[in-house]
Amino acid sequence: MSFPGEGNLQRAIAFAAALGVGVAAYIAISESGGGSPVCLAGGSGCRTVAESSYSHVAGVNIAVFGIVGYLLLLASAFFANDTARFGGFLVALGGFGYSIYLTYIEIFKIEAICQWCVGSAILMAILFGLSAARLIGYGGAAEGLPDRA
Amino acid sequence: MTDSERRTRLLRMAAGAAFLALAVVLVLIVISTSSSGDGGDTKLEDAKAVDQLLAGTPQHEMTLGDPKAQVELIEFGDLQCPLCAAYSKEILPAIVESQVKKGDAKIDFRNFTIIGPESVTAGAAALAAGKQGRGWTFVDLFYRNQGGENSGYVDDAFLEAVAKGAGVKNLARWNSERANLTAKVEATSQEAQNLGFGGTPSFAVKGPETNGIKLLGTPQSAEELEAAIEDAG
Repeated sequence: MSFPGEGNLQRAIAFAAALGVGVAAYIAISESGGGSPVCLAGGSGCRTVAESSYSHVAGVNIAVFGIVGYLLLLASAFFANDTARFGGFLVALGGFGYSIYLTYIEIFKIEAICQWCVGSAILMAILFGLSAARLIGYGGAAEGLPDRA
Repeated sequence: MTDSERRTRLLRMAAGAAFLALAVVLVLIVISTSSSGDGGDTKLEDAKAVDQLLAGTPQHEMTLGDPKAQVELIEFGDLQCPLCAAYSKEILPAIVESQVKKGDAKIDFRNFTIIGPESVTAGAAALAAGKQGRGWTFVDLFYRNQGGENSGYVDDAFLEAVAKGAGVKNLARWNSERANLTAKVEATSQEAQNLGFGGTPSFAVKGPETNGIKLLGTPQSAEELEAAIEDAG
């Protein structure tokens, strides 16, 4: 199997990042009025997580940081240079690492699972994989290099 | 710099960043494991125990449990009352585990302020926390950090520490709302008196089998309360 072309990786990153913006925006908007995201299978996990003290850092809803991260990743998908490759990798790495921490907090501290947060964590994991593949496969390549076969 | 050199440099930096990120995540988890459990920076006792007891149980205003639960246990309590604190620590956790978490019952906390003006201030602060879905956590955490009756410990700093520890998100909103809730505290105190209660904590239960509200007084054990809840449902 050949290594995916950088164009394909960029399209996949753009798609996953756009989904991520949607998920994070939904969480942020539903919590902005003091509410919480609605768990698709019912239950109160999303409310419990939204109401926990971990849902805000310095008074800012962490979903807002998520939106910013996904937007940066989306932007990185539109450029084929080392700044975009390495910058995208760093943002995805930070997002993925923070998602691991938040998932740990959900399971062991809050003892409640919010499907939307899990969805965002999965998207961040995918974006980390894609961004790492892009950097490993194309890091150092000249700007606008055609897709590698 | 050649493409190859640039590539090697980039990958080295990426590997370094990955190690750094891994270390930061591990440190965050270690710090979180050894902290009080609520993510706050207060030095309140038992915050972790309260977190663990109430985790996953819905809170609406001052009601703990599924709002659709058929049976409602009502606690008339005074946040300064040591016996109420003992109930909160030793008796109510069993009810929460056995009947509230299962959705069989919900518990409503109502202020019955008999000890002094500080009870009213504390009660209003609890109601304001309830407006942000942290009422029960506030009450439980307050009880577990209770000071001497009317000793002056119920000041703004203490209340804010409890609110923070309870996970009240918008402290500015909590602070402005608590000033306007003393009338509600006085109303439930009057309600308790009208029901004939003379001390705290006093309990009542409402359910399909109680034909209105049934007064329980101050049951001496979790088993008595559990039985009353079962009879009401």
